[in-house]
Amino acid sequence: MNDPLIDSDRFTADRQKYELTDTGFNEVPKKYRKFYRKWKGKGDELADNEVLCPVCLVVIRSARSLRPGDRVYCMPCMTRLTVAEEDGMLVARVVY
Amino acid sequence: MAEVDPHALSEEDFHAEVHSFQFWLEAVEGYLGGTDFGFDPNLTDEEFSESELNYLVTTLCNYCVAEQAALQASSGMISFAPAPDAAIFLSTQVVDEGRHLEVFVHRLKMLGIEDPWQEITARSNQSLLKFKDRLLEFVDQRDWEAAIFVQNVILEAMEFTVFQAHAATADPITSGILTGVAKDERRHMGFGENDLGRKLKQAPHTRTRLNRITAELNPLVLSTFSEIAEELKIDTEDLGISSNYLATIERLGFST
Repeated sequence: MNDPLIDSDRFTADRQKYELTDTGFNEVPKKYRKFYRKWKGKGDELADNEVLCPVCLVVIRSARSLRPGDRVYCMPCMTRLTVAEEDGMLVARVVY
Repeated sequence: MAEVDPHALSEEDFHAEVHSFQFWLEAVEGYLGGTDFGFDPNLTDEEFSESELNYLVTTLCNYCVAEQAALQASSGMISFAPAPDAAIFLSTQVVDEGRHLEVFVHRLKMLGIEDPWQEITARSNQSLLKFKDRLLEFVDQRDWEAAIFVQNVILEAMEFTVFQAHAATADPITSGILTGVAKDERRHMGFGENDLGRKLKQAPHTRTRLNRITAELNPLVLSTFSEIAEELKIDTEDLGISSNYLATIERLGFST
């Protein structure tokens, strides 16, 4: 798992940066809101810095493009996840 | 306000943060601030036909049964929570469940039900009552794994699925109430799945016992789902049972 605390070079090198803005997601404290957005259902295309939480169906966003092995957290449902690749798409898998 | 990248938190800090009362306060302020009994006070009620009103009242009565079950169970579970942060989290869940019960009862009164508690008793779904009794037995036995599984995984996943589907088709006031309640359910459901997932990793033998509970309770859950779907005139496909409730059970490795 790519942990940004342990391996910051691996997490930041050659990755596209994203300037996140608040999308109106209001289910977490203000300081975290821009890291999440509402999923609009099937057909909602995810960007390179986004994955869908399989537990609560909220879109998790990162300030950098994501890669398989990255660790992300879903605060609305308190879940730790790892990014994986499935059929050429990034997905999030729950890590208990 | 300093911005914090949640993904850069250590696992320990993440858990401490999301299980805290402070996190809960700041989270609910975002979607409940400015509401009155869970909905926008500027909204006015629409006209219902007699049958629409009848179905809505029955459905709300059964939501109250589920919320009463969750309120009693989550408050009882605090005394045998396995860790202090789990007890603190459950205390926020107790507040949520009490609020849910209150807003549904208030909605029943708005719809002209003079004695909601009597109406709830009269219209309770039998499968849901059996489910509630079984949940409270596990709480009485101080059986953490069974109680967290039945309440925070099965019951919460069922509520989350139904409330979201109902919110999409309900009148604006009921929809507003349900949307806020479903946002609370995300936390309860996630807490249950994650706590149980960790326990199953440490003690895989627990899975056999919980599998028996799943087999026992699944018919009650699915029967409740279909009765509510019938009342709301929602296709069970639209309820997304396979993608929500069953997906949760499957992720934890239980057979359905």
